Amino acid sequence: MTEAARAHHDDRVRVLIVEDDRTIADFVSAGLRQEGFAVDVVDNGVDGLDLAQSQPYAAAVIDVMLPRLDGLSLVTAIRRKGVTTPVLFLSARHSVDDRVKGLQTGGDDYLTKPFAFPELLARVQALTRRGQGAQEPTELAFADLHLDRLTRRVHRAGVPIELRPREFALLEYLMRHAGQVVSKTMIVSHVWDYSFDTGTNAVDVLVYRLRDKIDKGFEPRLLHTVRGVGYVLKLE
Amino acid sequence: MSSNSNRSIGRAFAFRLGLWYAGLFIVSAVALSAATYVLLARALAAQDHDVLQSMLSRYAVEYQRSGLAGLQRVIEADAGQGRHEGLLVRVVDERTEAVYFAAPPGWGEFDLSPLDAPSVSASGWATLGGLPDGAVLEVGSVMLPYRVMVQVGRSSHVRDELLGRFRARGLEILALIAVAAVAGGFLLTRAALAPLRALESTVRSILQTGQFDARVPIRDSHDPLDELGARVNEMLERIQSLVSGMRGAIDNVAHDLRTPLTRFRNVAEAALLTTDPERAREGLAQALEEADRVNATLTALMDISQAETGTMALALQPVRLGQVVDEAVSLYADEAEDRSIVLRSTVPHDLRVDADHTRLRQVLANLVENAVKYTDSGGRIDISASAGDGVVALNVRDTGIGIAPEHLPHVWDRLYRADASRTTRGLGLGLSLVKAVVEAHGGRVEVTSVPQQGSTFTVMLPTAAVPIEGTTPGTRHPVSGFRTTGTGHPSAGRRHPARR
Repeated sequence: MTEAARAHHDDRVRVLIVEDDRTIADFVSAGLRQEGFAVDVVDNGVDGLDLAQSQPYAAAVIDVMLPRLDGLSLVTAIRRKGVTTPVLFLSARHSVDDRVKGLQTGGDDYLTKPFAFPELLARVQALTRRGQGAQEPTELAFADLHLDRLTRRVHRAGVPIELRPREFALLEYLMRHAGQVVSKTMIVSHVWDYSFDTGTNAVDVLVYRLRDKIDKGFEPRLLHTVRGVGYVLKLE
Repeated sequence: MSSNSNRSIGRAFAFRLGLWYAGLFIVSAVALSAATYVLLARALAAQDHDVLQSMLSRYAVEYQRSGLAGLQRVIEADAGQGRHEGLLVRVVDERTEAVYFAAPPGWGEFDLSPLDAPSVSASGWATLGGLPDGAVLEVGSVMLPYRVMVQVGRSSHVRDELLGRFRARGLEILALIAVAAVAGGFLLTRAALAPLRALESTVRSILQTGQFDARVPIRDSHDPLDELGARVNEMLERIQSLVSGMRGAIDNVAHDLRTPLTRFRNVAEAALLTTDPERAREGLAQALEEADRVNATLTALMDISQAETGTMALALQPVRLGQVVDEAVSLYADEAEDRSIVLRSTVPHDLRVDADHTRLRQVLANLVENAVKYTDSGGRIDISASAGDGVVALNVRDTGIGIAPEHLPHVWDRLYRADASRTTRGLGLGLSLVKAVVEAHGGRVEVTSVPQQGSTFTVMLPTAAVPIEGTTPGTRHPVSGFRTTGTGHPSAGRRHPARR
């Protein structure tokens, strides 16, 4: 654990990953490191329990099915020891019962496999923010695009842009996650508050309309499609 | 092996039950007969006793009135009238000489000396043995003034004979009863155990064949064994539906995942083989989409199978139907607008149904998606609802391409698509999921359609029994009399003004 000890002194947000599937663990840890997190990975519940108790983590991503000690027992154990690290459970099962059980044990959020990385990232960020109690700004800006959450006004390069409520909600969500890819599922969940995959192309339609308003007639293009993953607000 | 031992155990059980039945039956018959016999014997003895007693009293009275001569006259008169038949009558004076003696014929050798014993004359009543046929003589004595003693006796012969006949007949009848009891016992036990035997053979056939088709025969007698059979049948029905649901789910999964997995494999292979990095990236993106499709299909199939087999966990609560409809409408409003389709709802917001909120949203989203998908530009989709009889009927009417009559019964089938070309996007599971989820809620679905004119999908759900908290009474509609047409709710069917 020399890496962990070394990393303890830097100011990056530290996340624990307990996942026995090597591919998933690598995928998640590489993604989180790229987003600026410090990540510790273990592949079984007992090591996870040791680490979670010995170090203060900003968040933990824990698989439900683990060798030696399952995820639910692991979280029950650390909660009993007074560890309040927010937990994101990963599970291959999707039934509501599992969800309730996971949250009752002391998990704070839940993600079913398979998942898109942007969704995991958004949840981890939400959990670590929750720990810090950060206040979100009322005014969002990206490049020459500005959005005021109170007056609900949007303008780009000084030109006011009229947005309908759903377009506004989408843009606000994209700007809050500027530079990050957000998936269709995340957008459906945020804009329409639907928690399931609707199989709709409503997101495509909405993104198309938003792009028509914020990118048409402006340079450079800000709203990009990442084929198969989702959408991102970025400067190329 | 085990079924043989089961059968012999069953037979032993039937035997024991039959034996108990027969035993109880016989014991009660014997007890009844014995009691009757004893009572009869007593009654007969008492009757004989009464006859002797009354005769003695009459003679005593006569003696006191008219002396020995009078007594003699009465006795002789009685004898003349045949009142002494079968009786022993004896009058003895103080010198122990028989003044009068009469006895039935055949008692000739009867020794009279015990009659003179002081114990006999003093005690009033005595019983003497030694008569022919083993009968006994019951003698009543009365000592009259001047030491004249009158004795009247009667042999028990007549009643012994009667009782003897009773005994003989009784035993014959008891023997018949015993036979009937044993036979009846076994027949009744057999009949009573027949349902159990039928149950056992049904269970055995299921165990041996692994098929859940067998059912316990029910005789509609509503006795507990019949009830048991009916419950077992219900259980088998449930198990069968679960098993066939699971088999169906596995078949569907195998079938439905093979196609996207094949595409997945093909695009990944093509991406790997290409030297053009741009095409490789494109292939990877496609592979990702196919993977998502596999996952979505799997989730939908599992949902359908859970709903159909009754294992879907439903958090039932009163849900505002109009609100859920509006949410679904908002999901498709942009798409409908782009294609100039009028999409509007007239479902009142305070119309409530008992439902799982998330699942109901899923049902509505699927219904609206289906309507939007199959409606051409310039068409319209109207969503309305009516309530009555504890049921809310929700109609989604479109002016779409409609469904040909031959396809109509199959629209709820998994992966059924009227267009064989399969050009329309979607998994083909939406309507199956709608049906499965609605039926899991205790509701049902209907569809009517006129080709080229449009279809109406109807979902019927139970009305909420409990009012939603926070609903003010004034805004609540009566259960009947909802407007199903007309202006509807102000916020229903939001149509945004055309963009400037």
